[in-house]
Amino acid sequence: MIAELLSGRGVLEARSLIERSGLSFEAGFDEMFGLYEAGQLVAAGARAGNILKMLAVEPAYQGGAALGELVTSLLNRARTAGHESLFIYTKPEYATSFEALNFRLLASQGKVALLEYGGGLNAWLAGCRRAAQDGLAGAVVMNCNPFTNGHRYLVETAASLVDTLYLFVVREDRSIFPFDVRFKLVEAGVRDIDNVIVLDSSSYIVSGATFPTYFLKQDDPVARIQMELDATVFGTRIAPAFGITRRFVGTEPCCPLTGGYNEAMKRILPGLGVEVVEVERIQVSSGVISASRVRELIGMNELSRLEEFVPPTTLAYLTSDAAAPIRKKLQMKTGANL
Amino acid sequence: MKIVKKGQAGTMQSSDLMVTVEPADELVIDIQSTVKKQFEHLIRAKLEEVLARCGVTAGKIGISDRGALDYAIEARLEAALQRAGGE
Repeated sequence: MIAELLSGRGVLEARSLIERSGLSFEAGFDEMFGLYEAGQLVAAGARAGNILKMLAVEPAYQGGAALGELVTSLLNRARTAGHESLFIYTKPEYATSFEALNFRLLASQGKVALLEYGGGLNAWLAGCRRAAQDGLAGAVVMNCNPFTNGHRYLVETAASLVDTLYLFVVREDRSIFPFDVRFKLVEAGVRDIDNVIVLDSSSYIVSGATFPTYFLKQDDPVARIQMELDATVFGTRIAPAFGITRRFVGTEPCCPLTGGYNEAMKRILPGLGVEVVEVERIQVSSGVISASRVRELIGMNELSRLEEFVPPTTLAYLTSDAAAPIRKKLQMKTGANL
Repeated sequence: MKIVKKGQAGTMQSSDLMVTVEPADELVIDIQSTVKKQFEHLIRAKLEEVLARCGVTAGKIGISDRGALDYAIEARLEAALQRAGGE
């Protein structure tokens, strides 16, 4: 019998099963299901957004119907919640169990494998490929929270070194500027550079699926695994679809996590035929240009000083009425920190 | 019969399949199967037969199959279509 685990006791039993299976229990999930045989919990698994996690089956029940039953329930619930594609992290030795459920391996990194259910990656690539061009191709991936002169400089430099530059804007909405605003500011900010194509990164580059700890800004072993997975998905699935042979990144003097991500790309991508090109950041009189500095200035309500950091297109938005709620949020944040 | 909303039927168990259908401008059939290499043509033929019998000419039909036999494919697809057919 399959049941949603709502009570403290059910979840506690599941936790014990999950931990006995060598997985770590993580509190944040949308729902958890358990499979009972003769009153005993024999399998459990949870879903957080479009990610399945903590799937564990008692050894005696492995190889049977337990996993399929569990995943059916999780999948039904995910569909109801509007998710078409689902992801799962598992140990590489369990990847085949999920492939038997029609999950597809996106990348395996040694300790962890990432699989996807549903044709999300191919559908996304097919949509993007309409924009694809022949010739030497490069890529940059940016969150642009918001788009600054630093981003602009990196894009300009990269675009001058390739025939076509694909600029992927990180879709994951965990930043203060929402995705549609970030995307529009990037488009406006690079419109005059002919060989730049701005694309939506979907769930496949620096997303909650491929690299969730990016948004937590923690540098730990888990983050390192995710960076490598993210770089592997890029090198094996995305770059070949566009013919991308160079990935451009800005040097990262401040943030250890982004610095670590650059290092992970340098470890993984050259072996997959993608050269990693680091572009030195530009400096202004008051230091390095960064989006966090821009957010700080907005937080301190020093809009007049923004001109040095952002292009006119971004400045027009930041000082507009449309940006008032974001300005207010940043100012409240700054107030709270004082 | 016209697909007017999302519909779903089936499970991910071995020897079963999960069918999802949703409205679309044209007929698109996406087959995921553990035995795709061997049986994709037969699965597709079965799906097309049922769709034709139900008069479905447009919609996105997705199946995730784990080696289901013909009668299961037929039943699951019919159930999903009925759930997607409105009132």
